[in-house]
Amino acid sequence: MVDQQLLIEEAKKIVSQEDVKYVVGYKKGTYGFTVSPSYAYSPEYVENFIFNPLCTKNLTVYPMLEEKLPLGRDEKEDTRKIGLVVKGCDSRAIVQIIQEKGLKREDVVLIGIPCTGVIEPRKINRKFPDVKDVEDVLEEDDNYIIRFNGETHTIPKNELLSNACKNCETPNPPLYDVLIGEKVDTPEIQEFANLKDLEDKKIEEKWDYWEKHFDRCIRCYACREACPLCYCIECMADSLTPQWLRRSVNLSENTAWNIMRAFHLAGRCIGCGECERSCPVNIPLMELNKKIEKDVKELYEYTAGKDLEEKPLFGTFKPDDPEEFIL
Amino acid sequence: MEQLIITKEKLPTMLDELAKEYNLIAPVEENDYSTFLQIEKAEEMNLDFLLSRIPAKKLLFDQTETLFKFKPGKKGEIISREFSKEESVVFGIRPCDARSFSILDPVFQGDFKDPIYNTNRTNNILLGLSCNKPDTNCFCTSFDDSPASANNVDILFTDLGDNYFVEVVTERGKSLISKVNKLFSTGSKSDEEAKNDIEKKAIDSITRQMKLDGVVLNLDKMFDHEIWHNTAFKCIGCGICTYLCPTCHCFDIQDESTLREGARVRIWDSCMNPEYTHHASGHNPRPARMNRVRNRVYHKFSYFPKNSEIFACTGCGRCIDYCPVNIDIIDTISKVGEIKID
Repeated sequence: MVDQQLLIEEAKKIVSQEDVKYVVGYKKGTYGFTVSPSYAYSPEYVENFIFNPLCTKNLTVYPMLEEKLPLGRDEKEDTRKIGLVVKGCDSRAIVQIIQEKGLKREDVVLIGIPCTGVIEPRKINRKFPDVKDVEDVLEEDDNYIIRFNGETHTIPKNELLSNACKNCETPNPPLYDVLIGEKVDTPEIQEFANLKDLEDKKIEEKWDYWEKHFDRCIRCYACREACPLCYCIECMADSLTPQWLRRSVNLSENTAWNIMRAFHLAGRCIGCGECERSCPVNIPLMELNKKIEKDVKELYEYTAGKDLEEKPLFGTFKPDDPEEFIL
Repeated sequence: MEQLIITKEKLPTMLDELAKEYNLIAPVEENDYSTFLQIEKAEEMNLDFLLSRIPAKKLLFDQTETLFKFKPGKKGEIISREFSKEESVVFGIRPCDARSFSILDPVFQGDFKDPIYNTNRTNNILLGLSCNKPDTNCFCTSFDDSPASANNVDILFTDLGDNYFVEVVTERGKSLISKVNKLFSTGSKSDEEAKNDIEKKAIDSITRQMKLDGVVLNLDKMFDHEIWHNTAFKCIGCGICTYLCPTCHCFDIQDESTLREGARVRIWDSCMNPEYTHHASGHNPRPARMNRVRNRVYHKFSYFPKNSEIFACTGCGRCIDYCPVNIDIIDTISKVGEIKID
């Protein structure tokens, strides 16, 4: 369990630093099991910070979403740091972005959370539909203790755990400035176990499978906006000159979008699962991401976002890199 | 208003019977949610979900519409679009989605009568379905609507357990029923009471309310209020709230062509998109997410009611349910109303 009081204390210290602009953490959402990102500009706004297994959101999107608007005559760019509450995967995102030079280490202050996995909102909402106000959600010995309307429910962790967390090798943040509590043990996992169904499919079946999913895509680009690694200044999907992607929403353009999105994350996706979680039409985007992650690992022995000193996959070259698949 | 009863077993028979003469459109399950699609048989329909994920506006104003096709070059030509005269029976539309059509009407039936929208509006016969169990974020009652309102449909069905209570509202509904009237029996006083009871229970179960008092007046005076910064901080700028909104109706028009053929298409646009209303000069009137979030709220709760005397919100709750960062329109608007401005 994460000590919430310690989290608040540390966040208060950080937000009080002169070189910190604001800290982003989590607060209770406006209804049900929802958790909301929370911005704190000063210590009093940290009071509502929480951390529990419902805190799914990868907050590292926020420094990447900072808008650099044109400055007035006497205005100076605000270069103060952004504080972030990060779980293992979130911290990996920051490592990856720093490797790519999307951020500098000194741009962020990281409050690390040793994470034992988060609850998939879709699963808990199906299990307990129409819950208006939740009192508490705790993790205790491989169970979640969920309290609402005066009732207490004990649910086996595996039933509600996010699929992305079931394959997690980095529960502890690889990069942080303060850590809330002790590091947790890395669980033994069957990496890429979820991919078996997909990989067993024949090539035609795979095509049918993805066609069915991409056909439903409404191109709201929530997958892109929720992803901390999708931070191009101009996304190729938005480009008008040239227009790589037509605005028509149909199978052809949707397929182009989804394949390009997945490939642009090759060797970069850190597996937080935010794309799939935010998709309003339930496209299993993590299957694509994981498949590419697996290929990259097998071919280049590379895993994204592990080590600040490492170069990004596409920034490296070895003469014996496999290339049989290059057309 | 004619009041009838149909048993649950006979409902598929009724729809299959109507499908012989009309296109049949109903909610269909797709990967754990439902959406309105044309179906051949009633058995394809799934009524387990309260609201379709994609709102019913797509039946009138689809995400991608081809306005016309063309062939470029000296021998170029324009190939006009044909408008279908086939009528469709839309079964299972919820009262809030049906109400969204009345909100969209002034947009597409105003100075310019949009032919696509209006053809679809005329061709679709609406068979509504009351909501017995509204969801956490349902708040249609804030707009004086009811989860069992028959106001915007041709016929309203209400689930009474073993039977549906059927209210035939319009002449069009009447003539539709006359084609399958052998499947119905007359509704009794106690059936009507049962419906009223269900409606009351449904209304009572709606706990979240949007406080709309003073909102239009307040919005006039708070364009630069800090609430917009506070609301938009966490916005990640995706298009979920606009695309899943039953009343959002902004669109973009583009020519999409290859060397030999092309089409002018109309697609849903989203004011959350930085490209939205970006001027050719390079100037962007809404350069930041704050401007865009504020614009969406103002459009629904200030500009639209001023122009069309109705809020551009039905209280369906989709934008709240599916926002990845918990931007909550009930919360925002209720706060707007509470702010004291001199």
